[in-house]
Amino acid sequence: MIFQCSDLERALRSPELMPDARAHAEHCEHCREELRLWNEMSRIAPQLHQEWESPSLWPRIRADLEAAAPARMPVPFWQWCIATAALVAVAFALTLPWNSRTPQSREFLTERALHDVQQAEAAYVRSIEKLAALAAPRLEQSPTPLAAAYREKLVVLDSAIGDLKANVAGNEYNVYLQNQLASLYREKQKTLQEWLENAKSN
Amino acid sequence: MVGAGQLAFINSMVSALYASEADLLAACRRRDLRAFEQLYQEHGMRLKSVAYHILGNRQDAEDAVQETFLKFYRAIAGFAGSSSVGTWLCRIVINVCYDMARKRRRDGSEPGNAIEDQCAHRDQVALRVTLEDALRRIHMRQRMVFLLFEVEGLRHSEIASILDIPEGTSRAWLFEAKKELKRLLKEVRQ
Repeated sequence: MIFQCSDLERALRSPELMPDARAHAEHCEHCREELRLWNEMSRIAPQLHQEWESPSLWPRIRADLEAAAPARMPVPFWQWCIATAALVAVAFALTLPWNSRTPQSREFLTERALHDVQQAEAAYVRSIEKLAALAAPRLEQSPTPLAAAYREKLVVLDSAIGDLKANVAGNEYNVYLQNQLASLYREKQKTLQEWLENAKSN
Repeated sequence: MVGAGQLAFINSMVSALYASEADLLAACRRRDLRAFEQLYQEHGMRLKSVAYHILGNRQDAEDAVQETFLKFYRAIAGFAGSSSVGTWLCRIVINVCYDMARKRRRDGSEPGNAIEDQCAHRDQVALRVTLEDALRRIHMRQRMVFLLFEVEGLRHSEIASILDIPEGTSRAWLFEAKKELKRLLKEVRQ
């Protein structure tokens, strides 16, 4: 391509023509000056970037942003009422079972009391075992549904007693657990007595 | 001695709590002021410079940047993240500056070039002064593209996003700007 002065503007638009434009400018003073001025603008332009310190600007912006923070909408009265009612209901629901259990579970037996309880329990267990031994022959041999129901109930009670004894072993001073165990023994005793009474009457 | 730009860069490195732009945006959406401060450290200097070239003095430029952050804060929930935060801030500051310039014209209080800036020019290199003056005389859209590309170093893709124009238009406006500036510079020299 033979580059002419009239091609310079096209070359300034199209970077691919620039090598030809530069080659032409080596011999053309007018185009050399045009190119120099063109490049000079790009060289000088970054110097127009303005930088200055503004120590008070960020604090001003921050104050603006803080003031613009979305204000909390006032809660309507009826919402307060619903919230209060819900809170009372939840508190009531939580405190009911808590009241029946907590004071007991937090009462701990002393060493002496524990010893008494353990002795009483041992004696009680021995008595129940005697009772069970009395009931066992007929209970195990009877094919009636009633006998099966009693057997099943006793199995369940023995299983529950076993679980609870394991818990008590880890927390011997817990009155609540001791009471639960005692009530299971009572239930077992009652079940055995009932069976024996039924067996006697039949 | 550490310059203002270096200081801003050092501050941005030291206080960069949020490493990714996604984290930074998420923090902005939570109205975490530390995220806004990080944005200010990273983009404040460029925003001031852009505002300065539109409004012509530093005080107005700072007011424009302040207004920009307030607008950004209020609109952050609606920002889809289709462009970078820097690009978005740049777009806001340009619009704020246009609004301020319009208001000044309406009020009849257009200061043109502030006295402080005129004084500062005396010590500047002749070509730089001439270019700066010529820049004020060309069409606003050409000036914007020249400013963003040549002065602030943005890419055409970024400028296209800021000014909401096709990339080819950005290139064309830059060429027109340089052609017009070259003509004005030659006029001054003759």
